[in-house]
Amino acid sequence: MFEVLLGAASDILTLRTMLFLLLGVMAGLVIGVIPGLGGTTALAILMPLTFGMEPIDAFALAGGIMGSVGAGGAITAILINAPGTAPNAATCLDGYPMARQGRAAEALGATATASPLGGLFGMVTLLMVLPFAKELVLMFGPPEFFLLALFGIVTITLSDPPTMIRGLITSGIGLMIAFVGYDSVSGGDRFTFGSNYLWDGIPLVPALIGLFALTEMIRLTISGSSIATDTESVRLDGIMRGVRATFKHWRVVLRGSIIGTLIGAAPGAGGTVATFVSYSSTKNSDPHPETFGTGRIEGVIAPEAANNAKDSGALLPTLAFGIPGSSEMAVFLGILVLHGMQPGPTMLLEHERVIYGLIIALTISAILSAILMLVLIRWLAMITLVKGQILAPLVIITSLVGAYAIDSRPGDVMVAATFGIIGYLMVRFHYPRLPLVIALVLGETAERGFMQSMMIGRGDWKIFVSSPASIILVIMILGSLLWWVVPLVRKRSRGSRVDG
Amino acid sequence: MLAGICLLAIVNPPVFAAFPERDIKVIIPFSPGGGFDSYIRAVVPLLKKHLGGKVNVLPINTPGAGGRRGALETFRAKPDGYTIGVFNMPGVLIPQLTEDSVGYDLEKLTWLATFGNDPYAFVVNKNSPLKSFAQVQAQKQPVLYGATGPSSTSYVATVIMNETLGIPYEMVTGYTGSSEYTMGVMRGDVVAALVSMSTARPYIKSGDIRALAMIGVKSTDPAIADADSLGKPELEKLNVVRMIAGPPGLPAELKAILEKAILAAMADPEFTKWLEQTGNDAQPAGADTTAASVTELIAFYKDFMQILKR
Repeated sequence: MFEVLLGAASDILTLRTMLFLLLGVMAGLVIGVIPGLGGTTALAILMPLTFGMEPIDAFALAGGIMGSVGAGGAITAILINAPGTAPNAATCLDGYPMARQGRAAEALGATATASPLGGLFGMVTLLMVLPFAKELVLMFGPPEFFLLALFGIVTITLSDPPTMIRGLITSGIGLMIAFVGYDSVSGGDRFTFGSNYLWDGIPLVPALIGLFALTEMIRLTISGSSIATDTESVRLDGIMRGVRATFKHWRVVLRGSIIGTLIGAAPGAGGTVATFVSYSSTKNSDPHPETFGTGRIEGVIAPEAANNAKDSGALLPTLAFGIPGSSEMAVFLGILVLHGMQPGPTMLLEHERVIYGLIIALTISAILSAILMLVLIRWLAMITLVKGQILAPLVIITSLVGAYAIDSRPGDVMVAATFGIIGYLMVRFHYPRLPLVIALVLGETAERGFMQSMMIGRGDWKIFVSSPASIILVIMILGSLLWWVVPLVRKRSRGSRVDG
Repeated sequence: MLAGICLLAIVNPPVFAAFPERDIKVIIPFSPGGGFDSYIRAVVPLLKKHLGGKVNVLPINTPGAGGRRGALETFRAKPDGYTIGVFNMPGVLIPQLTEDSVGYDLEKLTWLATFGNDPYAFVVNKNSPLKSFAQVQAQKQPVLYGATGPSSTSYVATVIMNETLGIPYEMVTGYTGSSEYTMGVMRGDVVAALVSMSTARPYIKSGDIRALAMIGVKSTDPAIADADSLGKPELEKLNVVRMIAGPPGLPAELKAILEKAILAAMADPEFTKWLEQTGNDAQPAGADTTAASVTELIAFYKDFMQILKR
């Protein structure tokens, strides 16, 4: 294996190929910054351009993009609450509050450290588990998907006791929104009102653009201030603090990387699930979970580590079966086909060197984009000083254009705008947005997993405890339920005794 | 609406001598990167070459509503030859038969050519106790199949096959695509699935799944059953057919130009080379054959509508 790895490295480390890689990194950062446009779009746009290229250059370009869009997306998530790509939405939760406190540089420093660490962890894990790739990928079936989604929804909804009831309400509404559209299990239309647009459901990315970026810009316009509330306190020298904090919270990095790699390996779950589960489990295992969402640096580190680790995870099903683990991978497979390679279960044997080349390109890309970010942070962080009247129109226009650019559907713009208003009303009337977001992200996975499990098990609930992975997940769900509900019940009963 | 289109064609005296004068859009009803998408993208540059090379042929991905959005866009386009679309049968045909208003009528489209078809393989897990299709037919307990949604091609094909052969069956729906339910077979979620050959071939080759029957093509392996050996030759029609059409009322001159260019592109040595490299295949057919097989396919699936609606 190491011979091939070295061979692949020598393919990548030539001036021309490295230039393509750098080009990919820069394109990835820029496209990642634009809300709505992510790695999938970037690769799809570039795919036809790679036609005349040497295969290795095309893969370096693709690897550069895939390894850097996450970092680009994190920049806007932290600075202006606009998740550049869907998985970055989890980074907004604590990254943006940090920016408002004048700690944007610190949050960006943490991102620039956590992403390549997560990426490296994922790569090493990938190389180690490659021999068992098939078994690992086959561990995740419909029951496990359901339990994974349930775990995410339960932990996020319950983890904030003061607003738990409101959280339950919003996550319920979120699930209803997630169920809009054609039901691929039973075959009916739900809440589509005869609209062809709604047939595909409420698209996640425009909804996230609305709930995060537009909501915040509405708030900013109304308050008229800049993002950093106290401009005096903005510290541009916090970069190193962010870097150090990441190393100090190495457990968070490790947990995020493991979660990212595992969920990435499950085909169909996607990066957004990975970052949110990483965030919620970090929040859940903290002694003060209620302080998350107010600018905890762990809340930035956890999703960013998971986001880059998931790329390696997503390579597993691709390599083992030729089945893409993410939408980026699906387009990447298209590039492979374009260069005369047939993705499939024998790909790793037939195109070993190319595959290792891609793995190396992804790693270098994660590191390069982190370096670029570290260099740019000081200037980037100044965005938080710009007055709302100037910043808001620019961000609103970019966000709406981004929403349109995904699939050129006018309806997507309407969805973004609608969710922007819903998000603002929720903030205004103190309803937590996070349960709504997590339900939107995980609702479909949860429902599909549940329905399929019931069909596979012919209605027998034992299917949810029939594999080691599912038993572990059930224990995690029950554990977090007890963790949150028992103290609450105890408090309630104590309270009633006092009342009585 | 059709009358209106005809009227338009009469009012504007057609001058086709210079066709094509501007870029031609090819609507692909899927996201970029999939198998069929790459197939079309391989044909497109050659189509440009065989249309004189002066104008571009632009592939436009219009995913959504299970291919219906793209179908509708082609159906509603101006019949000036500058918009044509590709179709996956019976993917867009089933909704037309089962639902009240899909907004398009496949029989009214101006069919240009067929790219080819993709037959089905009946596959089971490599460790499955089922060793031959005769054993499947002898099953008393329902066989559990994986498929995508209930109006999807895979679901419809599974239902038709089992009903015709009298095999008891149950479905697990909701898989997001053919590779997902192929994984379902490998993981043991389901016992079997009908998977299009283009998806199944690599996994059969690697030994992760086994094919016990072929539907929609003659089997060359005596151990693998086919429609003839099962005594139901009508099942031969069960396969995925890929076609290309223009909007209704496309003038005959334009239709002839486009048909000729598409067939020439598919006969181009460059395309043959691409097919060989990627393991794809093609069974090109012209406009009349394509239109006739669309009518045939509609009649074939109509017969099964009572079962499917149930």
